[in-house]
Amino acid sequence: MLTPETVEETAADTSPAYEIPYVLIVWNDPVNLMSYVSWVFRSYFGYSKAKADELMMEVHTLGRSVVATGSLEKIEADVAAMHRYGLWATFKRADEA
Amino acid sequence: MARAFKNTRRGVTGHLERAERDLLRNLFDDVITLLEPDEDAPAVPPSSPERDPLWELTGLSPEDFAASAGGAAVEPPRDPALRRLLPDAVKDDDAASAEFRGLTEHALRQSKTASLRAAKLALETSRLHLDDASAPRFAAALNDVRLVLAERLGIETEEDAERVHRLEDWAEAESVDDYLALVYNFVTWAQDSLMVALSDRIELDLDGPFGEGHVR
Repeated sequence: MLTPETVEETAADTSPAYEIPYVLIVWNDPVNLMSYVSWVFRSYFGYSKAKADELMMEVHTLGRSVVATGSLEKIEADVAAMHRYGLWATFKRADEA
Repeated sequence: MARAFKNTRRGVTGHLERAERDLLRNLFDDVITLLEPDEDAPAVPPSSPERDPLWELTGLSPEDFAASAGGAAVEPPRDPALRRLLPDAVKDDDAASAEFRGLTEHALRQSKTASLRAAKLALETSRLHLDDASAPRFAAALNDVRLVLAERLGIETEEDAERVHRLEDWAEAESVDDYLALVYNFVTWAQDSLMVALSDRIELDLDGPFGEGHVR
């Protein structure tokens, strides 16, 4: 399905190389089920089960995990998507994370 | 107790008793109400001459476009439950979070409300059928309900979650909080069983629930 977000993400992929990368951080929350967090990582980011489970366990045990890296535009769109799923996600410049 | 959700060739199916469906629908309604625009915002009453009938016909409002144009900073909601649904996007930077809210919060409220309404509609029949588009939205709606209930129950740590989880018997409920905890555990059970069904299904699922697909 072509949505404005799809267009935005496609555009972000061709962003100039000099752009500062940003990271998406997902924070631990005693409410969100481990099965749900892992499933969100798989279905939204397309990660394998192994990678999604690894990131989910990092969130659970360390309190946070860097789940994606990319241009500011891409990471902002990803953060908005995580909020639609109900996960607590924030973004930050990669060199400050 | 209701049957768990199951993955079938045609989608996810589930069965809930009437009382359970009514309960979930009420919970979805509560969250929809919570997500309605801030009561502090200067609202134009429906009968007001300022409300343009052409806007009414489209079902949109000028505010929709003002919001999507972005720019204006938006303060975080004062209700902590609503803040859990609409969290800050930048940690320890209120100004950057407010700016991000100005760009995204309106659409986020609309997306969540749409999912909750769709979830309510799916509960019209005792035998639930969720296709690949509606099942993930149903899971997100259940998650939003749990976030709101968790805030009301004061679940902030794993220990809090354990304390609430231990309450199992409706006959033992003695207070509003006990009742809320049992409701929370029921919604948790429903979401967890839906996640099992969806995880079985994910290999076939090419589109994300919000149409974004796999972004990599």
